[in-house]
Amino acid sequence: MALLQISEPGQSTKPHEHKFAIGIDLGTTNSLVATVRSGLADTLADVNGQHLLPSVVQYTANSVLVGQAAKEHQVADSQNTISSIKRLMGRGISDLRILGDNLPYAFSTSDSSVPRIKTAAGDKTAIEISADILKVLKQRGEQTLGDKLEGAVITVPAYFDDAQRQATKDAAKLAGLKVLRLLNEPTAAAVAYGLDSGAEGIVAVYDLGGGTFDVSIMQLRQGVFEVLSTGGDSALGGDDFDHAIAEWVIAQAGLNANDLSAGTLRLILQEACAAKENLTEHNQSEITIKFDESQTWFGTLTRDIFQQLIDPMIKKTLMSCRRALRDAEIEKHQVMDVVMVGGSTRTLRVRELVGEFFDTQPRVDIDPDRVVAIGAAIQANALAGNDPEGNLLLMDVLPLSLGIETMGGLAEKIIQRNTPIPVSKAQDFTTYKDAQTAMAVHIVQGERELIDDCRSLARFELRGFPPHVAGSARIRVTFQVDADGLLSVTAREENSGVEASVEVKPSYGLQDSEIESMLKASMEYAAEDKDARSLREQQVEADRVIEAIDAAMADDGSVMLSEDEKALIIEARGKLQAARHQATDSQELKSVMANLEKVSAAYVAKRMNASVQKTMAGHKVEEFNND
Amino acid sequence: MSDLIFSQNYFEIFSLDVSTNPDLALLNENNRALQRLAHPDKFANSSEAEKRLAMQKTSLINQAFNTLKDPALRLQYMLSLKGIDMNAETDTTMDGAFLMDQMELREKISEVRSQSDPLDELETISKDLKSSSANLIIEFDKHYQADELDTGREVIRKLQFINKAQREVSELTEQLEDELL
Repeated sequence: MALLQISEPGQSTKPHEHKFAIGIDLGTTNSLVATVRSGLADTLADVNGQHLLPSVVQYTANSVLVGQAAKEHQVADSQNTISSIKRLMGRGISDLRILGDNLPYAFSTSDSSVPRIKTAAGDKTAIEISADILKVLKQRGEQTLGDKLEGAVITVPAYFDDAQRQATKDAAKLAGLKVLRLLNEPTAAAVAYGLDSGAEGIVAVYDLGGGTFDVSIMQLRQGVFEVLSTGGDSALGGDDFDHAIAEWVIAQAGLNANDLSAGTLRLILQEACAAKENLTEHNQSEITIKFDESQTWFGTLTRDIFQQLIDPMIKKTLMSCRRALRDAEIEKHQVMDVVMVGGSTRTLRVRELVGEFFDTQPRVDIDPDRVVAIGAAIQANALAGNDPEGNLLLMDVLPLSLGIETMGGLAEKIIQRNTPIPVSKAQDFTTYKDAQTAMAVHIVQGERELIDDCRSLARFELRGFPPHVAGSARIRVTFQVDADGLLSVTAREENSGVEASVEVKPSYGLQDSEIESMLKASMEYAAEDKDARSLREQQVEADRVIEAIDAAMADDGSVMLSEDEKALIIEARGKLQAARHQATDSQELKSVMANLEKVSAAYVAKRMNASVQKTMAGHKVEEFNND
Repeated sequence: MSDLIFSQNYFEIFSLDVSTNPDLALLNENNRALQRLAHPDKFANSSEAEKRLAMQKTSLINQAFNTLKDPALRLQYMLSLKGIDMNAETDTTMDGAFLMDQMELREKISEVRSQSDPLDELETISKDLKSSSANLIIEFDKHYQADELDTGREVIRKLQFINKAQREVSELTEQLEDELL
């Protein structure tokens, strides 16, 4: 059919080469996808015009629901409807004890270090659940752009450790996304804010989301966004405000949380969240909770009570701010602007205390929900190669120190927190026994002295170096942190030059083999996705064919075709038009299209000849042969 | 950007003269300029080998930047340029008067909580430490110029003591502030 579209030489019908890349804000409460089109960055809406995708997934025996539709089942089907999964990313079974009180899910007992939530669709890890959210965002990107995606920039809290970052990257892989970069959320926000306002100088980004808190101190200068320091808490957010209110409600109602069902707890949390949001506009919120048919509780949450409940949490965030300032060697008065990011900065008390702390009016004029996704889209656009001047540059830092275990369970820091990344550091080790040929290295992340207080990242076994007298082998282990903040390790015995093999056992991540098998499992889903995709491709093709036929017929249809030929083509065209909107699988549409092609084949050939003759008119055949 | 940086010393990388007191504004500016050329994000569409090279170059630039930014690391690096390893075992002992001062200082820090205004006291200590540190850098410079490298090394040892005390003061300040908040 392409033959019908004859273009003049030198006039390409190909649109200009713009590579599409998306920015994804994978949030605790809501997620967003954004892209840059015609030089403008904006978030993308779903078919209903909604930009925010609630980060909620409902699993049933034969379906996966994501977003608002899933959120509606949170109370009725709380066990299978998973929310705030970001809190479990890169976390281990042992972490559940700390987070566990707030999680209404059943966990499967398995020997893996990664927690698995029991659902109607089988056991699910945080990585798989996050991948299901990412798939929906990816699809939204593809449908809006109608083009193949170059890749995605996915944002993570700046304070995410290596395991949490790796888990995010694995989720993207599972969703079939090419990750151009993991970008820290405050950095993304600064990009959107800085490019918009043209600000230059020191900026503090205060990012309080649903489940995480980050603060970054940054220097903005001529398109360079240099992070001087970062701090935060990867398990503190607006969710905790809801929990504090919920606990208050339960106490006021004279109940015990342990006696309540998961569904009731979820209901109380939803009411708590609504009461919190209402306080942004009003001085008090009325709360009504129907525990069951016979028992209903009414209460009033005033701003005063709310402040008492959340002030300790806000103060915790301010401690992180102070430490970040100290690390950056910046005084408060040097901070030009404080940019508020994350839905939880809508809480007035947060704005008030942050303003008091920095002694400045915080910037709340940017949309705290969308700014991170927009910054990610700008960076994705640049990484895809659409920023030829190359002005944008993001220089980030390692959020938490990396260290290794030494004698006595102490952590020795190898790379200090707030070191600019990428960075590499070599450390020499020696053997302590004669003829020792292997050695174990335990890598941790965190600021504390004791190994047990830091986060275990991985255990490495170095093997295969030649036997030496104790203390004479020199094993050089190189720690490389890339621009995503992810660590990789290589080791080599310096005297012999033997490359020691490094076997990584991630403490809280999935083994590569586990990721592989998940990928295989998702292929079955992928078959479904593929069907939808190829139908969409055929629809686009059908539109093009119809358009081409119409143009040709208008041009020379009456001259070249008999009435019968014309009627045949018009009939076939009509069928294709109908099938374009009705066909449910791509094969059906394809055969209708093939019919039109068959009916109009002679017409196409005639047009070709006419076109060739027209081009050659006034030329000799030889001229063309010499080519 | 060329591969030359792999054979340059840290000062050369940033086009600075070897000095105990380099122009930090220039260091920052040149760092940004180098990152613009070498940062892995500028090679997002290049081959794997080019990406790796970009990461190695940027790692080196960052390492050099960190070293020159921090006075103790900077001086230590200047000694290493002359072939002196700070970590090598030596049999020299620390000057007794300095050690006495340090012990007194530690005692002062540990008793700070019982003061009427501990934060104020800590700020005074911190200021004193800063001026000691500045004096030690000047002292090092003198020895370095005179090629008295072993003496220079002793000065760095002192500087490391001072820095450690400074970190403890910061941590304690942080703790006290947190308690007050």
